[in-house]
Amino acid sequence: MSRGDERNPGPRDPAAAGYYGVPVIHGPHWRWLIAAYFFFGGISGASAMISAYARLFGGARADRLARTASLVALATLLPCPVFLILDLRRPRRFLNMLLVFRPSSPMSIGSWSLAIFGGFLTLDVGVQLLFMCAGKVRRETQRVNPGASRALAFFSGTSGMIVAGYTGALLAATAVPLWSKRPELLSALFLSSAMTSGAAAVTATSLLKPADGEIDPALELLEVFAAAGEGALLVGWLASLGPTAKPLDQGLLGYVVRHGGGGAGIAAPLVIHAAARRMPRRARRIANLLGAAMALAGGFALRFAIVEGGRLSSDDPEAVIALTR
Amino acid sequence: MDQPAYGFLTDATLCIGCKACEVACKQWNQLPTDSPGDPPKLSGFSYDNTVDLGARTWRHVAFVEQPTAGGVAWLMLSDVCKHCVHAGCLDACPTGAIIRTEFGTVIIQDDICNGCGYCVPACPFGVPQLDHDDGGSHKCTLCYDRLQAGMTPACAKACPTESIRFGAVDELRAAGRDRVAALQADGVDALFYGDEDLGGTGGIAGLNAMFVLNGPPEAFNLPAKPKLPRRNVLPSALASAATAVVFTAVAAIAFRVQR
Repeated sequence: MSRGDERNPGPRDPAAAGYYGVPVIHGPHWRWLIAAYFFFGGISGASAMISAYARLFGGARADRLARTASLVALATLLPCPVFLILDLRRPRRFLNMLLVFRPSSPMSIGSWSLAIFGGFLTLDVGVQLLFMCAGKVRRETQRVNPGASRALAFFSGTSGMIVAGYTGALLAATAVPLWSKRPELLSALFLSSAMTSGAAAVTATSLLKPADGEIDPALELLEVFAAAGEGALLVGWLASLGPTAKPLDQGLLGYVVRHGGGGAGIAAPLVIHAAARRMPRRARRIANLLGAAMALAGGFALRFAIVEGGRLSSDDPEAVIALTR
Repeated sequence: MDQPAYGFLTDATLCIGCKACEVACKQWNQLPTDSPGDPPKLSGFSYDNTVDLGARTWRHVAFVEQPTAGGVAWLMLSDVCKHCVHAGCLDACPTGAIIRTEFGTVIIQDDICNGCGYCVPACPFGVPQLDHDDGGSHKCTLCYDRLQAGMTPACAKACPTESIRFGAVDELRAAGRDRVAALQADGVDALFYGDEDLGGTGGIAGLNAMFVLNGPPEAFNLPAKPKLPRRNVLPSALASAATAVVFTAVAAIAFRVQR
């Protein structure tokens, strides 16, 4: 396992810091399972937020959008525990995550939030479906028991927000240079990226039925705002990292960040949203579906690049030494 | 009741690179080889074929060859878990597997650890590591079992030059500072690593396993001014909350206008 095995020590420069290029810190073992969890957990949490927004601010006409968003949240939450448990090196002990609560550990905060969010969301979806059926039976257009629905919307939306947002803190609270240098920008970027992906997932799901081929204008505004914010935060975060951004500046990961996360995930959906407004109805639906699919692909690419980049950053003794001088 | 915190003082100026500490540690703690292949690979890094601390290597003797006017200065240091006063691994552990013992040391309870791997990047010194066979995270326990029996940790017991000293942290810290002062008086470029100025910086509040160094910390792969990862939790949480407030405001306007 000795990580120095393949390295050639070469002649040593007495002024150079470091020890034969051996990494100063040990990198995380996290790979695509964790990137996939960040992606799906982000969509789920953000969709629950969208559902809550629709019910708390949108009035009766937004009930249908709220139901779609809640169902997307539940469907994307289901694979999350699977990814997380498979990533554990001792998966049968996954319930040990709920033995203690450690506020100093974002992973502890996240485990509890995920469990609580799962409970609220399941209840929320169940009650919404029940109300929908009751409404149909009674042939009523007005909402049934909005008080309970609003309370559930608030709780599932708030816990979903924590699930969508804590992952930035999880990465920031490490010794990994790429993740820990600008914790506030990384956290804001993660929540914005979750909102872009969540809005895209809800949009795509509601467009799948050709009958409702129109995007909800409020959701579209939120999606455009999230994507624009995510783009600004991504550029700002990378710029503020300076040389620490090296793993994401070059090579394959640099390509994935620029063209996947930035191009496909942020720029393309924004352009498509603007262009789709002038298209005929059927073309508009296809274009918006394409935009949502690109936003989702880009969202995953960004998470994947940040997770992988953290491993490269850990293995770079110069990056660690530069931040601990 | 008032049990003092125990720790190590490891002195690079006394180390002869015999690796007795590595052997004693492996033997007492029954740690298998790092390289299952036979024969083990040679690193080519001076006499260091251990290379790094890891899941199965809790003492690591670094060999630094520094070119000088007269030839090569050979620096040696036995690295170990720092048993930080505020420990990044302990802060990060979500299961409660990592605890602070009655001796002020930090240990991983193997029967609780579920192999999440968060303590690994949370350590600013690169100490804990997941074992590729059993999946758990492992590191130096400062011989918790020996301490409970009133014995000296295996590495310190085996060290033939007293380069590794075991004792109460307060006494070792004073001894380390005296040693650095004496070395400096003799013209040696010595440093004390493990207080809040060097090594125990950035919220770590000092190390219970300290070092006397005769070269810059980075030469031994020790970060000069490490920071406690937990410091980032609050700024991250506040930034997420602020972002969420902005989204909520935008959504409130968007959905109300539509209504």
